[in-house]
Amino acid sequence: MFLGMSPEERLLANDNASRTILELRDAYRQQKANERKPEKMTHQIYSATGCARCHITKRFMKENGMDYEEYDIEADGKDAFAKFYRVHRAEIYRDKDGVEFPVYTDGSVIRQGVSVVIGHLVAGNGLDGFIGRSTLHGEWIDGFNISGGDPSRAGDLLKVMAYLKQNNLKILLTTDGRNPEVLKAVHDENLGDRIVMEVKGPAELYEALAGESIDPNALETSIRLAARFPDYQFYSIVAPMIPKDDTVRYLTPEEIGETAKTIEKATGSKKHPYELRPFDPDSAVDDRLKSAEPLPANAFFKYRTSARQYMVMTQIAK
Amino acid sequence: MGIPTIYPTGTTLFDPGKCWSGYTLFIARETGCALVDMNGNVVHLWKGLHGFPTKLLPGGQVMGSLGVRSPKYGFMDYMDVVQVDWDGNVVWKFDQYEYIEDPGQEGMWMARQHHDYQREGSPVGYYAPGLTPLVEGGNTLILGHKDVRDPRISDKPLLDDVIYEVNWEGDIIWEWVCSEHFDEMDFSEAARNALCRNPTMVVGKGEVGDWMHMNSISTLGPNRWYDQGDERFHPDNIIWDGRQSNIIAVTDKESGRIVWQVGPDYDGNQAVRELGWIIGQHHAHMIPRGLPGEGNILVFDNGGFSGYGSPNPGAPTGHNNALRDYSRIIEFNPITLKVIWQYSYEEAGFLPKMNNSDFYSPLISSVQRLANGNTLITEGSSGRIFEVTEAFEIVWEYVSPYYGINKNANFVYRAYRVPYDWVPQLERPDEKEIPKLDRSRFRVPGSVWKPEEGVVEVEGTLPYPGPQLCVSKVDEPKDG
Repeated sequence: MFLGMSPEERLLANDNASRTILELRDAYRQQKANERKPEKMTHQIYSATGCARCHITKRFMKENGMDYEEYDIEADGKDAFAKFYRVHRAEIYRDKDGVEFPVYTDGSVIRQGVSVVIGHLVAGNGLDGFIGRSTLHGEWIDGFNISGGDPSRAGDLLKVMAYLKQNNLKILLTTDGRNPEVLKAVHDENLGDRIVMEVKGPAELYEALAGESIDPNALETSIRLAARFPDYQFYSIVAPMIPKDDTVRYLTPEEIGETAKTIEKATGSKKHPYELRPFDPDSAVDDRLKSAEPLPANAFFKYRTSARQYMVMTQIAK
Repeated sequence: MGIPTIYPTGTTLFDPGKCWSGYTLFIARETGCALVDMNGNVVHLWKGLHGFPTKLLPGGQVMGSLGVRSPKYGFMDYMDVVQVDWDGNVVWKFDQYEYIEDPGQEGMWMARQHHDYQREGSPVGYYAPGLTPLVEGGNTLILGHKDVRDPRISDKPLLDDVIYEVNWEGDIIWEWVCSEHFDEMDFSEAARNALCRNPTMVVGKGEVGDWMHMNSISTLGPNRWYDQGDERFHPDNIIWDGRQSNIIAVTDKESGRIVWQVGPDYDGNQAVRELGWIIGQHHAHMIPRGLPGEGNILVFDNGGFSGYGSPNPGAPTGHNNALRDYSRIIEFNPITLKVIWQYSYEEAGFLPKMNNSDFYSPLISSVQRLANGNTLITEGSSGRIFEVTEAFEIVWEYVSPYYGINKNANFVYRAYRVPYDWVPQLERPDEKEIPKLDRSRFRVPGSVWKPEEGVVEVEGTLPYPGPQLCVSKVDEPKDG
């Protein structure tokens, strides 16, 4: 039959045959793929013996039906973690006390610390800005910045905090006054044990100081709420800023006085713990501020005197 | 000390020809600030004025305090530092160091001042030619308290010492916090251990550790050491002492660093061993320029009990491990540590070991170099103020007649002699010599002594020898 075909017919038949072969191959591959078990996301936890925060994280995963592989670095998982650490050294932070556990990975992301890991398991990247690295050990945990995240994800944030509270951790919060509605929810749910609020300056200077403006009412509401927590402190950084005229200058003692006055106005009291802190050039977001000449230590007394008109317990941080 | 039940008070001795005469200022217990003349007459009294201490300014104004915080909640916290005119009007006041709310009391600002302060112009707060405290304007250096926690020192709350400077307008312009310099103070491991366990707990805001208990601050003022190029003795630098630590030190005003120090131990090199243990001292300062001994360190070395270190029979826990039952005034060279002048039981003529505590004040007390080379000494615990010559002759003596009701004692924290012309409101008083009485003949009414009556001779007796005491007659040889 093939021999009786014209050259054109032979070429067409050849093409059809090739197509058929390709289709059969694809169908075979698909069939084989379908025969395999559905692929699961793999949760891996690197933990340490006796690490309470690792236990909390694992408990959360169990309660939420998440299977995981655990590598205890003080037992059989030591070599596995050493290998993992060598490959991912740049992504794993360690402080003077060493690596904070648990360290979690699903193969695509690495998360560290109980609050960050649970936050990731609850909301993926949705709580970025709300939950950061904790610097505290023992019963206290910090890294919760109320003003740093997306307020529409407040429900997920509360879920994470509530879980940590259920597991007897005391939560230290920070805020700079934004997201007062989130702060209210945290307060009303009794989820924060201590709050440290940075009042960057009078509301009208927030943009120059932080690059982002703030609604004066939101600032005052946050101040008022902060003062209702079981333990709280206000502070301001005597910081350089870039006002609209583009000239770098430090907050003045009078402006710090206005800041203290804002706290008094919001709360109706002069008696709140309020601290003045020096500026750390390394923390500056704007490069123009990194080279700002630090204020001499004795300059802070004027600021303290100015602030004490409205906040009588003002102290200078060392 | 063995003070008898009855003894005279007021001026008991006065040699006008040998004294550097003037008025003497001190706090009359639970009465006010008294200014007395050489014959003991109270020529002015600022009634009710407190002072820790009080100091006179030229023109008849006085510095002190209006009151002290309730002892239930504060330990030696004076509310303010004030300047009061001759008529009792407050012309300057500072209290804005810390806002204090004690239970059941209205919140208020307090200076939390204690033990000392200095007004600009005078390094030490007493007369020296050309170094006169400013009356209007000028900064004031204040020794105050601050509540801190510092786990390097102890896990217990601490009543820390601070030195701060305020200007005439009341702005704080400089501050130095003692605990922040703990690592510069050369405490031994044994001392750190004892200090950690008991940082000298006192009742303040709860129980707090008065670990250093500074009691004196003054500037060095112009001095020959700095003139010779020794930067440690910059005129603005501050000399202070810590009663509880036995430290005398100089703080560099600009950097805050401790740049000169003796103590807390006196067992180190030969120079410091020869200086000997300074224990529980008060009023350490550099003798100001223009006075005999200028540039030397003058201190009332109380003795008593203080320090931190290894346990010993008198200090089973190592707290208050330095003990001595007599006082001494020492004037020493800050470079060589050589003692230039000393006044103790020995110079006073008391029997060693037996009566060395006849010159002894375990707490408080002060010393002032006078312009003629005499030294005014406040032996505080017995309320005795006396002027002694370089050759150890007492030429004026006064015993405070002010005994408190709350505490049955006439103690005087610190007294100052001021020139007559600092008080223009008064005519220069007549000075009447008070000769030294023969105490074997001095009697109170009803007391009789007729030594010639009823005397019989005993046959065969020998003459009386000198005293033989129940101790070794030879002191331990000095090292070196």
